[in-house]
Amino acid sequence: MSGAGGGAQQAVHSLAFRVMRLCRPTLHVDTAPLKFDPCDILFGEDLFDDPIAASHLPRLLSSQSNTSVSDPSDLSYRSRFLLHHPTDSLGFPGLLVLPQAFGAIYLGETFCSYISINNSSNFEVRDVIIKAEIQTERQRIVLLDTSKTPVESIRAGGRYDFIVEHDVKELGAHTLVCTALYSDGDSERKYLPQFFKFIVSNPLSVRTKVRNVKETTFLEACIENHTKANLYMDQVEFEPAQHWSVTALKTADHALEHNLLMGETFKEPVLIRSGGGIYNYLYELKFSSPHSGQVKVEGSNILGKLQITWRTNLGEPGRLQTQHIVGNPITRKEIELDAVEIPPSIILDKPFLVSLKLINLTERVLGPFEVWLSESDLLNEKAVMVNGLQTMTLGEAQAFSSLKFQLNLIATKHGIQKISGITVFDTVEKKTYSSLLELEAICRYMWTHSD
Amino acid sequence: MDAPPPPPPESSPTAVTAAANVADDPLTSPYASMNSYCHDLSALQDLACRGAWRTIVDKVARSRSLSLLSKPHEHLIYLTFNLLSLVKLRRYPDAQQELRTLDDDLDSKQYLYDSYPDHYPNHKSGSMVPFALRWLHAHLPFTLGDRQLALDRLYTLLHFIRDKKLSRNLDSTSEVSLTLWKKREQFVVNTIISHHLSQKEFKVCLSLLRAEISKNEDPLLVSKLGYVQMQYGDLDGAKRSFEVVEKMVMGSDSENVELKNLLSRNKALKYLVGKDYVSAVREYEECIERDGSDVVAINNKALCLMYLRDLSDSIKVLESALERVPTVALNETIVVNLCSMYELAHVNHADIKKTLSTWIARVAPDDFDNSCTRI
Repeated sequence: MSGAGGGAQQAVHSLAFRVMRLCRPTLHVDTAPLKFDPCDILFGEDLFDDPIAASHLPRLLSSQSNTSVSDPSDLSYRSRFLLHHPTDSLGFPGLLVLPQAFGAIYLGETFCSYISINNSSNFEVRDVIIKAEIQTERQRIVLLDTSKTPVESIRAGGRYDFIVEHDVKELGAHTLVCTALYSDGDSERKYLPQFFKFIVSNPLSVRTKVRNVKETTFLEACIENHTKANLYMDQVEFEPAQHWSVTALKTADHALEHNLLMGETFKEPVLIRSGGGIYNYLYELKFSSPHSGQVKVEGSNILGKLQITWRTNLGEPGRLQTQHIVGNPITRKEIELDAVEIPPSIILDKPFLVSLKLINLTERVLGPFEVWLSESDLLNEKAVMVNGLQTMTLGEAQAFSSLKFQLNLIATKHGIQKISGITVFDTVEKKTYSSLLELEAICRYMWTHSD
Repeated sequence: MDAPPPPPPESSPTAVTAAANVADDPLTSPYASMNSYCHDLSALQDLACRGAWRTIVDKVARSRSLSLLSKPHEHLIYLTFNLLSLVKLRRYPDAQQELRTLDDDLDSKQYLYDSYPDHYPNHKSGSMVPFALRWLHAHLPFTLGDRQLALDRLYTLLHFIRDKKLSRNLDSTSEVSLTLWKKREQFVVNTIISHHLSQKEFKVCLSLLRAEISKNEDPLLVSKLGYVQMQYGDLDGAKRSFEVVEKMVMGSDSENVELKNLLSRNKALKYLVGKDYVSAVREYEECIERDGSDVVAINNKALCLMYLRDLSDSIKVLESALERVPTVALNETIVVNLCSMYELAHVNHADIKKTLSTWIARVAPDDFDNSCTRI
């Protein structure tokens, strides 16, 4: 998987670049090491049920040359045939393997590469200025530049190596440009450029949903894995914006087992499957304003950001953070409607008074107002209606103070009925406030019917 | 051919009854030696240890054509060696052919000792099928591309062991036998874990390994758990597993080189994932000093050198191991790594890889997979 790359190769060069992506190695897995216990091949599986056979077993086995597998004088390949330890059959000895292909590269990862300049000529080259750069659509990032201290010489057949690292922060086409400016065997100054292209893709997508339940805001974040590897979610943290506090809500771990040996309570690792696997996170957010009584600032509502750190083979890390996650826009409450007094029981077809209070929560004068009960959406007639003039006029409400008024109502149906649709209209600012208050009342017949 | 052929007409009834009467006479007992128990068995085992699988295939064919095998169990053992050789040589369709000569049902009567009272007088009843044959029967579909069938058969085999063999009490079986079956259970579980691991089904591996560890607190098993955790990226989990291994080893035999090297190699991996390659190299060098044929330490040290920008030395480490201890170092993974290093180090790497390949052809066992050189 080392590459020679593309480049202007008109001149014959003494030097050549060899490049290999150096992400972390993997541990080798041999699915079937084909190593056996001699008893499983040499003897019938039930042979040692027979006591006579069982008594001969130790002698028969020891008659085989039983030298240790790692005896250097043993020139056989028995270690490829016989199990030395029962765990050998896992085929997972802890052998590291170099990356065998360039692989895919994703935003948030670190691009690491071994670069080797070989002098394959028969002459020494001198004063070598080496540069390595990453070029993208937007920028050029210099990873290595030996202009100030050129490599004095690379002998015939020799090599100069370096390792470069670059945190990938852009999507799309990237080019690793390696250049060498050197004096060859004829003291001619030569220039060798080589290009290695790769594409950076998006590893994850994060979908969020914000829900408000009374004073609490809940944030659901769904992370989807678009890579070709399973991602181990090392850390997923929500960083709240100013004045917000966050609690991560986790499910109860059903498979919690306390293993005495391992001395810990085992938690299932969060591993998101490659190619479309998802995992959901839930956060509870609370707004804590520094000024007591002050409600939330009007306008767009930034909750914070999600910081994600994932890992793949041997801990190869990747890091991303989302853009600002916005909550539902908050509109500051301007007026509130409270019930002051409702008669305990209401008699059908007899008018009754409901005392209400309109509170002005703003710092300016509001009103005058008009109050009415809106038309019911239902085809049925409303159970409770205004008795008399359908629209009531109220005066102004001063800043941070309230207006008391009474609604004259009448009930036309018995039973538990809703008094709904109370609508307040600000005649100056032309604003309508509906659904500020809903009441319930029990309406009885005149002669007490026990229903 | 379904059942093993009947014994050749030469063996007279008197020879058989003689065997019955002197079953435990050291001079005539069938268990006097490997070869008296089964024709030329020690030669077969020797060939297997030398990796001479092609020779084994020839030998089996010869023995069959010359009718050198007289007892049913000998046929089964030779068949097992033949099947294993074909699988080792990656001749999978031929292996399947060989397996087809057997009855589909390995529990059939024809594979039981008591079906042949003439051959096995006074022998306790039981199956003469070598366990490796069962395992190979389960494994073969994987080699032919059907991983799912292989896994199904492995799980079936596991249930067979647990339900039929391990659930017996000591009246109906011997302690030797029970111990063997416990080992076989572990063998099958390990094969299953290996399949899941190569498919990157890590959670299944974790759960199976943890179940194994709770039955058998083995520092090597816990180390493997740590390796699995490292493989998918849970570095903290791996560190905790390695700590448990250290605690387990601390009490035991302090002179055991293998355990000491295990601890050192685990420590080296911890340094490596923390990118402290210098310390990792140091740990591996200690391992190599204790045991010059610790190929895991040698291989991993070479990789660390490469991550330290020292490609030349990493190549030297691997080349010198191949020269010094070829029978343990000649391993497909090490050759893959060495060839990757050659490709990086040389513009014209074809030559040097050819040299390596020629050397391998001279020295390697029959089952060595040359495709690892990527020539």
